[in-house]
Amino acid sequence: AAAKLSPCRRRRNLRASPDHPYRSVAPGPRADCAAFGSSQAFTMDSTIGMRGDGFVLLAADANAGRSILIYKQDLDKILPISENQIMATVGPQADCSVFGEYIQKNMRLYELENQINLSTFGAANFIRGELAKALRRGPYQVNLLLGGAAKDEEASLFWMDYLGTLQKVNYGAHGYASNFVLSLLDAHWEKGLTEEQAIEVLRKCIKELETRFMIALPKWSVKVVDSEGVRVIDFN
Amino acid sequence: MPSVLFDAKDVTKIEPITTSCGMVFAGLMADFRVLVRRSRKRSQTYKLTYGENQPISQLVKETAQVVQEYTQSGGVRPFGVSVLAAGYDEEGPHLYQIDPSGVYIAWKATAIGKGDQNAKSDLERRATAGISFDDMTLDDAIHHALQTLRTGMEGEMTKTNIQVGVVDGTTKAFRILSEEEVQDFLEEAR
Repeated sequence: AAAKLSPCRRRRNLRASPDHPYRSVAPGPRADCAAFGSSQAFTMDSTIGMRGDGFVLLAADANAGRSILIYKQDLDKILPISENQIMATVGPQADCSVFGEYIQKNMRLYELENQINLSTFGAANFIRGELAKALRRGPYQVNLLLGGAAKDEEASLFWMDYLGTLQKVNYGAHGYASNFVLSLLDAHWEKGLTEEQAIEVLRKCIKELETRFMIALPKWSVKVVDSEGVRVIDFN
Repeated sequence: MPSVLFDAKDVTKIEPITTSCGMVFAGLMADFRVLVRRSRKRSQTYKLTYGENQPISQLVKETAQVVQEYTQSGGVRPFGVSVLAAGYDEEGPHLYQIDPSGVYIAWKATAIGKGDQNAKSDLERRATAGISFDDMTLDDAIHHALQTLRTGMEGEMTKTNIQVGVVDGTTKAFRILSEEEVQDFLEEAR
């Protein structure tokens, strides 16, 4: 099997089934999901991504909080999983960090074992496979955008959700932001965007969120990945 | 062929492992079958996980790992085969040899089996005579291979008693040549 590291999460969050003393079941939907009638935990975070000419831009809000409380406003939700690939995660912070680090370390293990990096397509399939395998065991409540621009490969952006959906896209968004921002991206994205143009489109999206979205997202972390590596954009 | 009674129709020594990789062996055919099965399964598992074909360098490494485990485990004996694996990946064409010890070596040109020393000397002679194995065409490579093979063969080399497998740079696919194609090459070599 490809994923050599196995997280300990399963032991942690399984509870005993009601009719058996020691057999365990995967946790049911949480209180906040049950309210929505879905199995997905809705959090207030969002991420936006778009593909440009030889690069991929990912932006994620920097709020960390729960219910009415904000813990911090400088959380970086965009993880570098290799030299030329970044992943922006949306969901409960626990799942995002456990899953994100699990993917990071497995990508690094691949690199060490094979002296070569995985392509973005290969990484996307691997990540989706892990989400899909966990779905029936105890899902990772993580929705993510994966952007990569490895050498000898076109810049590509992949949209994934906690069910194991995988789609290559030109632009995408997760979280409540997607309700507001996808139409803007549809209108303003075009093939071959330069970095300046992409940042302008991102500004339009964030302005829309400031105007129409109830939750304030004052700070965003914005990263660009191209064949030379990952760059942080000073956005705020 | 060991005997005139032998039905040679379905005998195949060269086995495709993925669409762009194939293996041939010298030694115990039954042991080779086990390695072929393992490699095929492993490369399909890779494809399921990553969506892409496994690079041959990784496939060879993992197969060699299996071979090594059989030299250091209880109750088993080492594989009695030397394997040559040919494949094409992102970095170009590769030829690897896997020994019963679990060592794997990358070659530009090599030979295994009975008469391998003579064949390797023959190939080395060609290399020192100025033939470059790095950038020869596929047709030239087949010619050299058939000529070298003939030096070690008892009896005549015909289209039915040899097999030729190639990985084409343009299609990046591994295939075994048909008898007609082999016949054409044999006639040209004469």
